[in-house]
Amino acid sequence: MSRRYDSRTTIFSPEGRLYQVEYAMEAIGNAGTAIGILSKDGVVLVGEKKVTSKLLQTSTSTEKMYKIDDHVACAVAGIMSDANILINTARVQAQRYTFSYQEPMPVEQLVQSLCDTKQGYTQFGGLRPFGVSFLFAGWDKNFGFQLYMSDPSGNYGGWKAAAIGANNQAAQSMLKQDYKDDLTREEAVQLALKVLSKTMDSTSLTSEKLELAEVFLSPSGNVKYQVCSPDSLSKLLVKFGVTQPAAEAS
Amino acid sequence: MKLDTSGLESIAPLFGASNELLDGLSTAPAFDLPSNVDLDGFLKETIQMVKPAKGTTTLAFIFKEGVIVAADSRASMGGYISSQSVKKIIEINPYMLGTMAGGAADCQFWHRNLGIKCRLHELANKRRISVTGASKLLANILYSYRGMGLSVGTMIAGWDETGPGLYYVDNDGGRLKGARFSVGSGSPYAYGVLDDGYRYDMSIEEAAELARRAIYHATFRDGASGGVASVYYVGPSGWKKLSGDDVGELHYHYYPVTAGTVEQEMVEVTGA
Amino acid sequence: MECVFGLVGNGFAVVAADTSAVHSILVHKSNEDKIMALDSHKLIAASGESGDRVQFTEYIQKNVALYQFRNGIPLTTAAAANFTRGELATALRKNPYFVNILLAGYDKETGPSLYYIDYISTLHKVDKGAFGYGSFFSLSLMDRHYHSGMSLEEAIDLVDKCILEIRSRLVMAPPNFVIKIVDKDGARHFAWRESIKDDSVVPSA
Repeated sequence: MSRRYDSRTTIFSPEGRLYQVEYAMEAIGNAGTAIGILSKDGVVLVGEKKVTSKLLQTSTSTEKMYKIDDHVACAVAGIMSDANILINTARVQAQRYTFSYQEPMPVEQLVQSLCDTKQGYTQFGGLRPFGVSFLFAGWDKNFGFQLYMSDPSGNYGGWKAAAIGANNQAAQSMLKQDYKDDLTREEAVQLALKVLSKTMDSTSLTSEKLELAEVFLSPSGNVKYQVCSPDSLSKLLVKFGVTQPAAEAS
Repeated sequence: MKLDTSGLESIAPLFGASNELLDGLSTAPAFDLPSNVDLDGFLKETIQMVKPAKGTTTLAFIFKEGVIVAADSRASMGGYISSQSVKKIIEINPYMLGTMAGGAADCQFWHRNLGIKCRLHELANKRRISVTGASKLLANILYSYRGMGLSVGTMIAGWDETGPGLYYVDNDGGRLKGARFSVGSGSPYAYGVLDDGYRYDMSIEEAAELARRAIYHATFRDGASGGVASVYYVGPSGWKKLSGDDVGELHYHYYPVTAGTVEQEMVEVTGA
Repeated sequence: MECVFGLVGNGFAVVAADTSAVHSILVHKSNEDKIMALDSHKLIAASGESGDRVQFTEYIQKNVALYQFRNGIPLTTAAAANFTRGELATALRKNPYFVNILLAGYDKETGPSLYYIDYISTLHKVDKGAFGYGSFFSLSLMDRHYHSGMSLEEAIDLVDKCILEIRSRLVMAPPNFVIKIVDKDGARHFAWRESIKDDSVVPSA
């Protein structure tokens, strides 16, 4: 019977649910985890890469982290082809804003405009919602560093620490336990890696399976988006004691 | 210059060259084109003809007791006086008047339209529209038609919850709030009299007399203005028509005939 | 003949405009305020065709307010100026507005600023600017007497110099002017400079 309600995105079930949207969220639950943490001097994003084969040419660029504009970046969990569409519209929105006002788009406005797009697909005629959740990290002159999380329904919110993708609930509760206000960026990286290592299914955490990106202010006062190289990521993993250096030594 | 439309005629070649019966009928149809070559210039000239002159005198002003609105009643088409009894003060509703200068049709139509909108506002909001709101409604409509040849120079005068109100609205979409306006080709003359005689604390009678005189003096000097000088008053309980006087008679009232010096008197012929 | 001009001083910007509404040879009104507040810390002074002037400045004002409602943060003066320019530019090839604009504002981060936007969508950030026939006189006077970091008193003196020059040298000079300022405390009316008093001004009801 419920078939009648879950084949259409735009129709509520008698219990008041939108099944397609819930299924989309389910799909994201299988995707690689991404964690974002807000610190006093920057925002940290870490993500789990799902390497499927060693024959795969690991792309030199990032797989889960995308730069939207000079001052905003995002981490993705979900269907990548869907995400690519949304990332593109977000980049266009950011450029359009700069075209109109000659200044960077405030972070929340960018998130909101993207979530408006997502929302549209939960309401208008026969389309499938986007199977993507995002973590947005950014800085603007009004509210400084910010972290937002959005889901396929188009809901979004500002967070101090947030997790999306596989085991996000476990990650979220660990973050809740270990998060402290006034974290430094380095402490935030440490916390993010720790939480990720505990929630990931694979036993050994290596730099091939990880991505780390940070948004912070450079000494000159400009916003900087920096992706951590595999080498320095390996060093960080050892430094924080998340993995044993033995693997490398052998 | 003629436009030959024979190419459009499909049956023409079917009939032979000479058939007396069909002579005249089968000749290729054609019609005259306007003899004007410079169509853009023609359009410009036409707009200039209806636009700035506004062969009229209308005025309105706010004073202590409310608003006075006055106008002449002449309609002219170029040099020809087409009517001496035009109602140039349009009653929008019992509390609001509009004046008419420019194209009579444009003014009448858009004032009626405004009347409808004001009534609808009243039904929707259970209170009368303000003069500010009504004039803005009209100005926004006129602005949306700007450059398309409308010719309207109007004043919206009335009484609302804030007291007396007066706005000038024209076909460029301009809208001015003020306490004393005059519109039309006779307006400079009317302004002369009006500005000179105006005081805020006039009585209704004094104000009506000033308005009447201003219209009269304008009709005296402006050939495109004349007929009857109508004067309306809008107060807290709505508008009222105070007077409508033939300016010809006003002339004899304001300038009674006096015996002037006669240069040469005709001598009566005696013994005829 | 229209005159709009303004300048940036130490911690404030000041704009002045004539207040005449003219149609051919007639002055319909001599107390028409041509400087509008865009929001609490922005002033927009405009000259141009009567309908366009009001319609365009109100359109900008409403959009600036809409932005603030939607996003909970005000536009900076620079953003508002760029937005205004953009709207003017998109309209330029469709149904152009014949308006010239001086936009003055005060921002916490950048302090006071003045933007010059003409009817063909040229945008300049300026220390001093002017539009209309009055600009011939006011520009040279401001070039002569302007210096950075002027006090309010010096700036108003300069504005008065400009008004005086316009009144004495410009054919059909407008009789009255309005002066407005914007500083850290917001945008506000500063003074009228009237040589003709309209006796029919209704006592504020």
